[in-house]
Amino acid sequence: MIAGLVLLAGGAAVGLFGSLLGLGGGILLVPLLTLGFGRPLREAVAISLVSVIVTSSAGASVYLRTHVANLRLGMVLELFTACGALVGGLIAFSLPVPVLQGLFAALLGYVAISMLRGEPRKAGGAAPVDDALLPRDESPATTAVSTDVDRAASAPALQPAPTAFVATLGGPGYAVTRLGVGTVGAVFAGVVSALLGVGGGIVKVPLMNLAMGVPLKVATATSNMMIGITATSSAVIYLLRDEIDPYVAGPVALGVFAGASVGARVGNRVDTRLLRMLFVVVLLVTALQMGAKAVGL
Amino acid sequence: MTRVHGASVDGTAYRLEATIARLLVAGTYVAIGLVLVGVVGMLLTGVDPLSHGAPPPFELAEIPADILALQPEGFLWLGLVAVLALPLGRVVVAGVGFLAARDTRLALVSLAVLLVVTGSIVLAIGLEG
Repeated sequence: MIAGLVLLAGGAAVGLFGSLLGLGGGILLVPLLTLGFGRPLREAVAISLVSVIVTSSAGASVYLRTHVANLRLGMVLELFTACGALVGGLIAFSLPVPVLQGLFAALLGYVAISMLRGEPRKAGGAAPVDDALLPRDESPATTAVSTDVDRAASAPALQPAPTAFVATLGGPGYAVTRLGVGTVGAVFAGVVSALLGVGGGIVKVPLMNLAMGVPLKVATATSNMMIGITATSSAVIYLLRDEIDPYVAGPVALGVFAGASVGARVGNRVDTRLLRMLFVVVLLVTALQMGAKAVGL
Repeated sequence: MTRVHGASVDGTAYRLEATIARLLVAGTYVAIGLVLVGVVGMLLTGVDPLSHGAPPPFELAEIPADILALQPEGFLWLGLVAVLALPLGRVVVAGVGFLAARDTRLALVSLAVLLVVTGSIVLAIGLEG
């Protein structure tokens, strides 16, 4: 009974801190399950994928209801993230575990550095559950979107004119550009997600925002919505290859959901600056531990 | 056309997004509810998740029997399957919505997404077999 409660608490801590820091759960959950609970890496990745689907579904409901997420663009891009996730899910079973550990260590290091630079949403904001689970409707989120949209609208139109289909994917104040680049990046995001058990927002958000001209808030919301299909495409592979232990996945997913819900409710009242610095240290130490395991130390 | 934050939303799209949002909310609570029942059952029956031996294999056909027997494993599996099915439900609803709006291209995109996920399932079963 104690172990079940500890897993539940661990998941809740991941959900809470991930929510407060604007990170997806995967970046925290995989190290917790492997280094903290001694679970195999592939099982940790699989359970992490299940957990990010839960937070993504809850978050997407809010983003769609408030029309922040771009459903049309998300549907197009998730076709490619799903393809990438399918490939990644298959590659994950042929890559040696130390290689996966090394890749995850690199990811942790990258996110830590991005957080140090104060750009968590751009770098690792896979599942912004602070916005996700609490229906704030049209208040702070919309202001931010409007600002982004206004900024995008006032930017010089240097990009080539979009084709007829691409033109239907934009939103108010912005047009989607470089769909080809977006699709290639989306495949890569899917591979990363499937290999490492993360939502893939670390790739998708900057891709949409910087390369495709989508306002940051819309990119974050759309990325969140896409996580469900991206993660499902590879999670079914892990599930059918018996890499998911329901007795571990259950309490962890439940904990993540509960923690993220609490984080969404208290997020606006918590000063996360100190938390962020502490987390950078935790991420760097975890990256070193994971890296050490990768090279057999 | 109504201009709403982040996306251009006409009446049809507005309703579609609202429908999908409702599906996701309801589905999330159903899935989490099933997992909760499974976790409570697991705790009450004294299963140690970290040292209960090899993970039980996933057998979809056995879930109903496990649930009827009030086995926590059945509720956990069903909850996890519901979690994985939820995004697919969202794509199905979106695809139907696009089709109803005569947006053939997006309807085909939805179908393609479902085919890719089906491909994942088929490949996983093939590799397993």
